[in-house]
Amino acid sequence: MGPLLPNGIIPTEWDSLIAILIGLVFGFILESSGFSSSRKLAGVFYGYDFAVLKVFFTAALVALIGMYYMDYLGYMDLAQLYVHPTYLWGAIIGGIIMGVGFVSAGFCPGTSLCALAIGKIDAFAYVGGALIGIFIFSELFTLFQPLYDGTFLGNVTLMDTFDINPYWFVFIFTLIAILIFVISDLIRKRTKKQVYN
Amino acid sequence: MVNRKLAKVSTFRYKILATVFIVLAGGLVLLPKHEKHEGIKPELLLANLISTERYISTDILADKIINNDPSFILIDVRNEESYSNFTIGDALNIPLEKFLDEVSINYLDQNQYDIIFISNDNFYAEQAWMLGSRLGFKNLHVLEGGINKWFNTIINPKKPTETMPEEQFVLYSNRKAASMFFGVAYPEQFKPAKKDKAIVKTKQPAPPKKVIKVKKKKKAPAEGGC
Repeated sequence: MGPLLPNGIIPTEWDSLIAILIGLVFGFILESSGFSSSRKLAGVFYGYDFAVLKVFFTAALVALIGMYYMDYLGYMDLAQLYVHPTYLWGAIIGGIIMGVGFVSAGFCPGTSLCALAIGKIDAFAYVGGALIGIFIFSELFTLFQPLYDGTFLGNVTLMDTFDINPYWFVFIFTLIAILIFVISDLIRKRTKKQVYN
Repeated sequence: MVNRKLAKVSTFRYKILATVFIVLAGGLVLLPKHEKHEGIKPELLLANLISTERYISTDILADKIINNDPSFILIDVRNEESYSNFTIGDALNIPLEKFLDEVSINYLDQNQYDIIFISNDNFYAEQAWMLGSRLGFKNLHVLEGGINKWFNTIINPKKPTETMPEEQFVLYSNRKAASMFFGVAYPEQFKPAKKDKAIVKTKQPAPPKKVIKVKKKKKAPAEGGC
């Protein structure tokens, strides 16, 4: 049956509308969970709050297990899902830049817009910096292009690269996630409690 | 009481959730696996099979060839002997037994051109279409009626009888024009020249007759006197 859009169960004209609706709900939930606070987000790196890690890992797990069950039961064809292409070195360097930005500013791009919406001043500075970064990147694109288009691995997943059984991968990933939750809880108990809004 | 119990359970909530995750993920590993269907789904293949959209009529094909339409490739799926005897336009020859060769697949598995399969009738072209569709190739079509219908409609169109509707006459004149494009000569193509001469010849020896009016003498009224 699914995915709904590629199989024409929902016409493609609804694409943008659905994207806007999902965006609204996502933003609302981010904000109401306190993810528009840079202190809460940066807590992952200082060890006093692991909410971000837990929330995103749990979301990934629920989606992963849920999709594999739906695929197994024939409700959705996993082979039809879009897999983002991998440009290895571009992803590694981009990841490092993103990580440094996350630690120093306390936002990731999505949460920064969420914080911007409720008028946080640090979010304004963050989004302004991001826009300047985008401008510099666009202007110097020819310089970055070899990195941007280089080491293209195709639309691969971890299962393709390491040639492992996807079901075993899901199981091992679940165990790792739970282990990380336990470890993060131990770390949080040892660090000094922070009070913030 | 209930609240206390709830509070007791809720202290274990993360452990419960973790267990649920492990059980569900373990279930995926332990569930019996079934062989997955490769290529397009049978339902979709059936829907394509029932639909007549894959057919292209000989008239449309003739129109495409005459107008040098660059958007399609003709593929003759008969054997090489039949292909060398006759084929339509500049069709490529991919006999069914060579359908899965690497060279053939390069032509067939693409998203740029419409592919029209031709054979003597629909039979082999349909088989090629079925194979290609099952493999997930796109833009595959079949020439309806094949080369036999091509002969009966484009190369040798039947003249409509007088009682047929006007559309049939229009269709006939189109088909006749198409057949002329493909090199068929009609006797009337040469007739007009002959006709002119014939008219001239007949006209010269027999110029229009001059009519000489002869005035008849009026009868004189009977004269008489009283």
